[in-house]
Amino acid sequence: MTDWKRTAAALDPPIPDADIEKLLPVMEALEASFRPLQASLTPEDDVWTGPEDFS
Amino acid sequence: MHDALRAKKVSSLELTNQALDKIARENPRLNAFITVTSDSARARAAAMDAELSRGLDRGPLHGIPIAYKDLVYTKGVRTTGGSKLFKDFVPDHDADIVVHLDHAGSVMVGKTGLHELAYGITSNNPHFGAIRNPWDTDRIPGGSSGGSGAAVAAGILALATGTDTGGSIRIPASFCGVTGLKPTFGLISKRGVMPLGWTMDHMGPITKTVRDTAVSFHAMTGMKDGYVPPPHADIRGLRIGLPLNYYFDHVDMEVAQSVRTAVQTAAALGARIVDIKVPDIDGLNVVGRVLLLAEASSVHRPNLHRRDEFGADVLTLLDQGRLIRGADYVDAQRLRRVYIRDFSKLWSQVDCIFTPTTPTPAPKIGQTTMKVGDGEEDVRLATTRFMRAINVLGIPALSIPSGFTKSGLPIGLQILGAPRAEDTLLKIGAAIEDATGAVNRHA
Repeated sequence: MTDWKRTAAALDPPIPDADIEKLLPVMEALEASFRPLQASLTPEDDVWTGPEDFS
Repeated sequence: MHDALRAKKVSSLELTNQALDKIARENPRLNAFITVTSDSARARAAAMDAELSRGLDRGPLHGIPIAYKDLVYTKGVRTTGGSKLFKDFVPDHDADIVVHLDHAGSVMVGKTGLHELAYGITSNNPHFGAIRNPWDTDRIPGGSSGGSGAAVAAGILALATGTDTGGSIRIPASFCGVTGLKPTFGLISKRGVMPLGWTMDHMGPITKTVRDTAVSFHAMTGMKDGYVPPPHADIRGLRIGLPLNYYFDHVDMEVAQSVRTAVQTAAALGARIVDIKVPDIDGLNVVGRVLLLAEASSVHRPNLHRRDEFGADVLTLLDQGRLIRGADYVDAQRLRRVYIRDFSKLWSQVDCIFTPTTPTPAPKIGQTTMKVGDGEEDVRLATTRFMRAINVLGIPALSIPSGFTKSGLPIGLQILGAPRAEDTLLKIGAAIEDATGAVNRHA
């Protein structure tokens, strides 16, 4: 899992320590939901490129 | 209004003065407007009257008072985005939709309030004050286009514009008991509109009726005319998808019942109801959150050192977005393509899909969690649960009132369609509207 505190500290401008704590549960939950979806991608899965991809 | 103007029963100037009077009366209660453009509106209305007298008729919006959400650039008129950062920003050009709606003859009477930077669903704005729901002023109108929803619901205007990145047209439509259309991605130009998420933002109308939405939608695209549902629109044989999964799983009972009643109404009008299973909407919502968090933080990166000038909720979201990695954003766009391909298979089975717009009626101002069915949920995540995925898919979605709770709060029906199937949504929406009469109740 990502070390969100370390990532946040490396940003410019940094996210103040007092604000990082409240981000953690949300980011951890989002990551837990996103990683399995990401793992399902295959090399053939190209990026969405705009409205032409809707049809 | 259009017919009355043509018959000279009323003038554009009279309609405009009526709208301005209503704003003066209602805005202290609702806080729906950030800026009111009384003088320029009256001058414009007089000019539109003069054109009609000369026989120049620009179409159904000629002389009709409207308002723009206050993130739409209006030349010479302050455009705040509901933000302290832009409180004195005056654009030097009009957005494309302003050009189009001007060309259609509309009369701008003001700029409507919104959730700060359009990044939220309550319209409880820390810089310009909370916008209030006309049906119950202790409740939110929804957001981010809350001022537009409230203004139309209160009968101030027939049309106000909205933007929708994760439900911001449809949520106010649902909570305020009005009609809102999020068209297919890219159909209406976003040039000159403050962005929130470039690949998720949509422009659209918020109106009282489906037919007004049809007229406004065509004008916003820049088309001179287009399909407007006739009286007694024929929906016989249309295939309406009713999801067996997800959309009725965690929903307020009155909301679910109202939407199911709308389904029965459509069936009674000759539509065919088809049970369907929708793909992974939770997954789509996760993809949508990753995309929007990253894009919004990119949009506002130049101002992120001015932390004190953002509201707390928006700053938290912008901080979250800064933590999304580039490779994860790209993978979210790859997943988007996979989901679009999966979801599009449904369009061989059905012509449209009925869902609740929001799982509950409007929550109270300041409420952060709420009871939905048998569980307690975060207000923002619950309210966007049926909508965010639709922005990822880019498909058109129409929200119309389907009824009211026992306590008198509006309930929204969301009708989804295939890309560029707006005419189908408008047709079936008008048929339901005519049959239920929900639109005839006023806040």
